[in-house]
Amino acid sequence: MKKVCCVLLSALSIVSTSAIALAADVSVETTTLLGIAQRDVSGASKENILPATQFFGLQADSLADGNLSLHIYGWGRTDMGDRSYSTDKNSGNLTYAYVQYAPDYANASVRAGRFFVREGIINEQLDGLNARTDLPAGLGLSVFGGATVHTAKLVGEGSDGKGDTLYGGRLNYRYRGMLEVGVSGVFESEAPELIAHPAANYRRIGADVWLAPLKTVDVIGHSSYNPETKKMAEHSYLLNYKPAREIVLTGEFNQHLEQSYLYAWTMFSGATLNPDYRSTSFGLSASYEINKALEVAADYKHYEREFGGANRFGGDMRVHYKDNTIRGGVGYHYLGADEGFSITPYTSASYHELRCYTMRDSKNYFTAIDLLGNFFEQKIYGKSSAWEANASVGYHITPGLALSGDLSYGRNPQFIEEVKTILRLTYNMNYPGIGGKK
Amino acid sequence: MSNRHIGISFFMVAALFALVASCAELKSIRGLPESHPESLAVGQQVSCAECHDDQQSGTLKAFDSFSHTSAFVKNHRFYAASDDQLCSICHKSSFCTDCHTNKVEMKPSTKYGHRPDREMQHRGNYITMHKIEGKIDPASCYRCHGRSNNERCVACHK
Repeated sequence: MKKVCCVLLSALSIVSTSAIALAADVSVETTTLLGIAQRDVSGASKENILPATQFFGLQADSLADGNLSLHIYGWGRTDMGDRSYSTDKNSGNLTYAYVQYAPDYANASVRAGRFFVREGIINEQLDGLNARTDLPAGLGLSVFGGATVHTAKLVGEGSDGKGDTLYGGRLNYRYRGMLEVGVSGVFESEAPELIAHPAANYRRIGADVWLAPLKTVDVIGHSSYNPETKKMAEHSYLLNYKPAREIVLTGEFNQHLEQSYLYAWTMFSGATLNPDYRSTSFGLSASYEINKALEVAADYKHYEREFGGANRFGGDMRVHYKDNTIRGGVGYHYLGADEGFSITPYTSASYHELRCYTMRDSKNYFTAIDLLGNFFEQKIYGKSSAWEANASVGYHITPGLALSGDLSYGRNPQFIEEVKTILRLTYNMNYPGIGGKK
Repeated sequence: MSNRHIGISFFMVAALFALVASCAELKSIRGLPESHPESLAVGQQVSCAECHDDQQSGTLKAFDSFSHTSAFVKNHRFYAASDDQLCSICHKSSFCTDCHTNKVEMKPSTKYGHRPDREMQHRGNYITMHKIEGKIDPASCYRCHGRSNNERCVACHK
């Protein structure tokens, strides 16, 4: 893995240097994090964790004839103390690396490399090609294909359970500002045979809709079908009603036929789930922007599965003053859940959640305090709560370069206590183009 | 219909796409601009309706549909599924992959401990909380950890 990281970082350096030399608009983002933590794990000795993690991102626009761009993002980590994460003391990964050609018409683009595709019911990462464009008469088309990006191998298996190739696409139709409908599908090649888990092919087709019959109302959502189980997999819909610019009322409905939806979740043997089990949730929320500085919101959601039901409700308040340089928020939610959702061997899964944060940004420095607490109705592993407090202080060395440090302390049922310190060096070099991207 | 037939159908559509794409008519269809013409503040809950009251040519949807209200932020997956090109006017791909990613070890709430306003997922001691939340709504886990980004999951779920 160390070798891979070295090759990766070398390649990134060469590519980025070349890109910077050729491109008109280049932005670079790097975040270097040095973590210092002591973990006191129940039933084990204390561990001293010292991971150094480097994130690196590059976006080079306006290459060649001005329509070509290069996008790269990845990370690497090395442990200087006890193992921080896995059995590897060094690790890294290329999150995305692709070139894109996007002419200034018809939302057309062609991408080649490693990227994520989010189209209709599709949300995939692959090494391959993706082409998309709007077409005459309100139509649009996106197609993609390539090699599956594999993830961690399942325990006791030589594979992650995924097939090696993946392809699919979405065809959509838009009618003025009222309607968009789309059909999409994703198909992966045959899943490999596994020893202790069921092999499950990943294939899904679906339809999505956005409907705005009135300026104040829109409905958006999708349904999908699993050709492997020959049953529906998911219905997920959202209704928005905006009676005034400051007020948003929403209703949502989600239903998953668990075997069909979780079919390719090999880690949990999704293909062997009871084909009749469903999980359903529906809810309502309302938000009101009282003025430029203050927004309040309330929400309620009900969950239903074969072994019980649960209700979650609560509210949030957010404030932001002085051109967003002072921000804050406070929220409370209560989850009342049936016994079937509790952690074995306990009988209650209900808890209260409280959270508040405040932030201050200035030209030279920035600070943040974040508090989060979960208070259980029945003790879990002998603890009645799980809470964490995080304080962060940073200094802008230059407008693009900042050094910051976080200190957090928490007590919870899993670890007796957690003390974490992070030193963070962030560099964001954006080109002085219009708008800029965050 | 067999999987082979479905596959052939998709490639035929792809071939059709290539044919149509060569048509000069595409050049008359307006697309979204490369980036937003005004700089937006970091951490700002953008209200598109502050400046726009019409619909945009690139998506044929009202600008206000994309105002970053609390409801929008919580339900942004619906909008990104059909209009991620609109997202990319203001956000780099890395903004999305801060959370929606694969093989990233660090929790986004740790990487962005100095930005609590982004309300990143799994803040605090989620190792305990996921034992409850995962039972209540397993589909919400699957969306991000079902087919990717599951190194933490396989460490215990064997």
